[in-house]
Amino acid sequence: MDLKQSIMNIGKYLKFGAVALFGAVLSSCNSNDDLGKQEIEIPGITIDGDIDCCSAEEALQVYKFLQTVKIIPELSTEIDNKYNVYAYSKTGKLHGGYNDIYFVATKKKNGNYIKNYEIPALKPIMLMVKMNMKHSTPVSAGVESFNKNYLAVKRGWVSFVMNTSDAGSWTLSYDYSVLGSEGTTAEQEIIVDALPDGQQWLKSFKVGSDTYYLSLVNPLDWSTGKNTITAFVSKKNTPATTPYGLAGEQFVIEIDPRMPDMGNHTSPDNVGLSRQSDGSYQGTVNLTMTGRWRIHLTLKDAQGNIVAGGDDLSDGYSSLFWEVTI
Amino acid sequence: MLETFLLTTFLMSDTVAPDRVQNLDEVVIVSAEGRGRRRSVKGQSASIDEHLGELRKVNLVRRGSYAWEPVVNNMQTERLSTTIDGMKIFYACTDKMDPVTSYVESGNLQSISLNSGLDGNPQATGNIGGSLDLKLRKVGFDSDPRHFNVSAGHEWNGHLQVYGADAALSGSRAYLNTGLFYRDADNYRTGGGEILSYSQFSKVNVFANAGLRLSDKDILESTLIFDRATDVGYPALNMDVSKAQGFITSVSYKHQFGSAGWETKAYYNHIIHIMDDTTRPDVEIHMDMPGDSWTTGLYSLLTTSLGGETGAQHDVAVNYDLYYNRLFADMTMYPGGAAPMYMVTWPDVGTLNTGMAVTDNVSIDDFQSLRLSGKVAWQQQRLNNEEGYRGQKVFFPLMTDSYFQTTGRIAASYQLSFSKSEFSIGTGWGSRAPTVTEAYGYYLNNTFDQYDYMGNPHLKNESAFELNSSAQYQDERFSVGIDANVFLFRDYIIGRLDDRLSAMTVGAEGVKVYRNLDNATIANISLDAGWQLTDRIVWSGRVSYSLGRDDEDGPLPLISPVSWRTELEYGYRSLQARVEVKGNGDQTDYAARYGETRTPAWTIVNLSASYQLRNYSIRAGVENLLDKRYSSYSDWNNIPQKGRNIYLNITFEL
Repeated sequence: MDLKQSIMNIGKYLKFGAVALFGAVLSSCNSNDDLGKQEIEIPGITIDGDIDCCSAEEALQVYKFLQTVKIIPELSTEIDNKYNVYAYSKTGKLHGGYNDIYFVATKKKNGNYIKNYEIPALKPIMLMVKMNMKHSTPVSAGVESFNKNYLAVKRGWVSFVMNTSDAGSWTLSYDYSVLGSEGTTAEQEIIVDALPDGQQWLKSFKVGSDTYYLSLVNPLDWSTGKNTITAFVSKKNTPATTPYGLAGEQFVIEIDPRMPDMGNHTSPDNVGLSRQSDGSYQGTVNLTMTGRWRIHLTLKDAQGNIVAGGDDLSDGYSSLFWEVTI
Repeated sequence: MLETFLLTTFLMSDTVAPDRVQNLDEVVIVSAEGRGRRRSVKGQSASIDEHLGELRKVNLVRRGSYAWEPVVNNMQTERLSTTIDGMKIFYACTDKMDPVTSYVESGNLQSISLNSGLDGNPQATGNIGGSLDLKLRKVGFDSDPRHFNVSAGHEWNGHLQVYGADAALSGSRAYLNTGLFYRDADNYRTGGGEILSYSQFSKVNVFANAGLRLSDKDILESTLIFDRATDVGYPALNMDVSKAQGFITSVSYKHQFGSAGWETKAYYNHIIHIMDDTTRPDVEIHMDMPGDSWTTGLYSLLTTSLGGETGAQHDVAVNYDLYYNRLFADMTMYPGGAAPMYMVTWPDVGTLNTGMAVTDNVSIDDFQSLRLSGKVAWQQQRLNNEEGYRGQKVFFPLMTDSYFQTTGRIAASYQLSFSKSEFSIGTGWGSRAPTVTEAYGYYLNNTFDQYDYMGNPHLKNESAFELNSSAQYQDERFSVGIDANVFLFRDYIIGRLDDRLSAMTVGAEGVKVYRNLDNATIANISLDAGWQLTDRIVWSGRVSYSLGRDDEDGPLPLISPVSWRTELEYGYRSLQARVEVKGNGDQTDYAARYGETRTPAWTIVNLSASYQLRNYSIRAGVENLLDKRYSSYSDWNNIPQKGRNIYLNITFEL
């Protein structure tokens, strides 16, 4: 431990040293540069001053971000032989529950990222083979830029209510609008992996005849301590093949995190989720350790009536819960 | 705090010059070379814990048959300072299974000295209750050129085996002490014959102390101790220990100029402690709970004598010390089938502490003496583990990852000595910083009261004001003495229930968070008497009473009930025999609020004898002669003590 720590510290110093050295090399380059502006080189991209596309600095930021995610080949498409749209997720795969999906559009001629484009609708469809039924699943309303450092990357999400299995398979298509070229991609089959045991990130409840879905956002980003908990409440559409948008009704989601393997141990000072201006729900969940947590839920409507969960079954906790193993 | 007359007589002959300045309150002699009277009847084969038990102000908290926790003036580790030859060392187990005294072996030591209360040894910090210094065995220069010592001991109850061999070589330019020790015990039987499961242990210890005289006035000394206990059972706890390992090392340089001595020592120690519950049946959730403690530091001690001749003589010691300690512990729980759960229980706390201490022993005239001591220490603590820090921040959102504390102590005592009597009165004030467990411990389960404990980074320093006094009379045949002290605490640190929080440990009652109580009081009084009945027979007796009160006048936990001890000793030539009867009164004043249960009164009888035959010394005895089943108030979860135990120890010296 001691030694390991020291080595890590040495490693840090080395890194710091490398950065400093790199900086020194760069500045010495610049000070000796009387031939004109040096260009940033990004593999596969030609910076040719195209005003639809990113500047060299912007493109570099996008390129760097894309190194942190993986492409989903099935969802990438070519438009009018001029443009490409690429889709990414953290792992290059999709799984049950909430998935962030990132998009970029590029020009074929220079490979550079297009600044203004739209993907107004994500349209996942599940075909239940045996029942010959189709339904969709909760999705974001289109995609949006989410980080000012790389505005050309847009993010949307799909929360799959079930995974691909013998019972049925998923397809996904999306509408696009890229520099005047508009259309819808073909329905591509995608594989939605099941979440491992100990992970249940999407739950549903009914109010009257309406079905709602609770999608928990990226709980694997949590760690021991205080965490922001984010979720979306979506409402099932009729017909069910229309992607499920955010519920218009406003709820309050009370949470009670428990560790079923530790005698339902809990943590203090958790804050229930309330609706934010962007339509998401946010609260605070405190985790005292890693392991399997159940976030037991009680949903209340705007008037404070319990509409789901909070039923306190034999174990004393709501039957409506997300389960997260970190 | 002043020593008693009885002790003084042998202290003068037994301790080396620098110790005189420290004005030791009590000393127990561990090594064979020491000729002090106060030592365990088991001689060299006794464990450190048994030697500690000979100190009058010391009690021992027992969680098994190994690694007992010393309690001084009814205060536990957090209010004591324990040093090894002045070196700081900190235990590595979040459940206090390894008091630092467990990382040495009695064969490593010359003596154990105790300074009671706030008058600590120069290296001590945070010693409200007292400071223990374990003096390493050093033969020194120009002693017997060669000395060898082999000892073997056996105790029938629990099949305890003790083997030790050590050698001392001494010349005018160099000396060396070295030794190898081994102890092994099976489960012991309680009174009545029941076997107490998980009370076994095994331990190996190697040490070397060496000295080199560089010149007439310059000495280089070095210490190396490696100590490893394995398969240690803790019947009072839910877990055992698979490995508790200590590595202790130091180098020091001593320079003598005139009447002054100057010692500078640099040291490093590392403790690894690994708990183990795999041998226990019906473990709901298996847990790994390792802990590590690293300490490195130095001190520089200047001792000198000033004045004298006609005026008052001052024996002055000035000490500067600096240490850096890191404590890390974590816990991984494995619920069957599900994902492991992980938490950091000590968040890699780095403590940088530095302090200055001054003591002055003033011999005013033949009858009066005065002792003054003081220390100021500064400490910076940093939480180096992000995960542990984030976890604790849930409970204390305003906490930071770095804290600074200043602590200090000051004590004065005045002693009046006549030919047959002696009186002393003393006072002191001192403070201590919260321990790492108290400030940053994270869900540490305490099996004493079945609560999980959370550290509290917002704790204030605890402080205490001490008053003490003693009186002693002795003539040729009788001696009688009284000794009393009282500690008035401010911001006393103890765990209090926070019913907002949910227990983590399965089966725990709830969560307690360390808090400062506005005030608390601990008081101790003891009476002792001796009577030389005949030339060969001496009777002695002692009775002690202690009291602990919290801010609401309720009892504090782990305060001794009335305890007493009486013995008849017969000595003739090389034979010594002793009958000892000791016991505790009924613990009526137990702290139910802090999870303590009442321990009934008990009395036991011990017999011991020793005989010196040329190079051999033989010690034999029977403990708990009547095979009484009992436990003392300080037996964790009231685990029963050993039943009748016969022992035989043989030492061969050359």
